[in-house]
Amino acid sequence: MSELEFMSPVGSGHLSTSDGGISLEDISDCTKVLVRAGRGTAAGVHLKVTYGRSRRRRDGTLICGSRPDEWTLLAGPGQGAAVVGSVSDEGFVSIVDISHGRAMLRISGSDSVDVLAKVCNVDLADDMTPDGAVFSGSVAKVTCDLVRDDRDAGRSYLISCERSFGGYLFAAMADACAEFGINVPAGLSVH
Amino acid sequence: MIVVPCPNCGPRNSSDLRNAGEVVARPDPATTSLTEWRSYLYLRENPAGWVTETWYCRSGCRRYFTIERNTSTNEIRESESS
Ligand SMILES: [Zn+2]
Repeated sequence: MSELEFMSPVGSGHLSTSDGGISLEDISDCTKVLVRAGRGTAAGVHLKVTYGRSRRRRDGTLICGSRPDEWTLLAGPGQGAAVVGSVSDEGFVSIVDISHGRAMLRISGSDSVDVLAKVCNVDLADDMTPDGAVFSGSVAKVTCDLVRDDRDAGRSYLISCERSFGGYLFAAMADACAEFGINVPAGLSVH
Repeated sequence: MIVVPCPNCGPRNSSDLRNAGEVVARPDPATTSLTEWRSYLYLRENPAGWVTETWYCRSGCRRYFTIERNTSTNEIRESESS
């Protein structure tokens, strides 16, 4: 089956500061696959990571323990069928490609934690949410799934929400970034 | 702000959860009376003091759990029945 062409719910692509303090990027086109599986199943054994943690599979897929007995698999754009096919569906298991149903942003840079702390009430300290942590919570009043996925030894977070909130979430995050030097384009204001 | 300890997610702001109300024993639908069933559906003790409650972790793990909360002080402790 060929992949459907992806249409991002976010109107803007990539905002950043020249000093690298903040980078806010729409990566909604990445592949997202939801797996629900009982602990004794082959899928559960293969995915392995517990709720709250993530690990990168050898093929680059990020396996996130997004809830008890539930995993979200993240990969590059257009890999839905391949990622779905990489998990055994034997037993009481459900595997769904949710790529088109959810928006996803990446916020990176040294100021990213301060931006996120403005709009998210989860403790972002290293001992509570270290690199690799998977957690869910309210971000600018939208229920989101978050993964701390540090890049080049710098802080980086993946934030995903339901597709219909994607445009608002990007605008709200851009607004939160404004005081750290991001130029928020006209038309992206939440005020 | 009330901090509610989710057994899966840790301490969370109560705005991330939903209070599903006092824990009440469900009578057997096969043998219950109308009065008893109505009281199970609608009537609560609502004390000023300790009450055993169910909470739903809607933004986090999406699981239900039981805690005890003091309705006068919002102090929270582990439930003996959980
Ligand atoms: Zn929870």
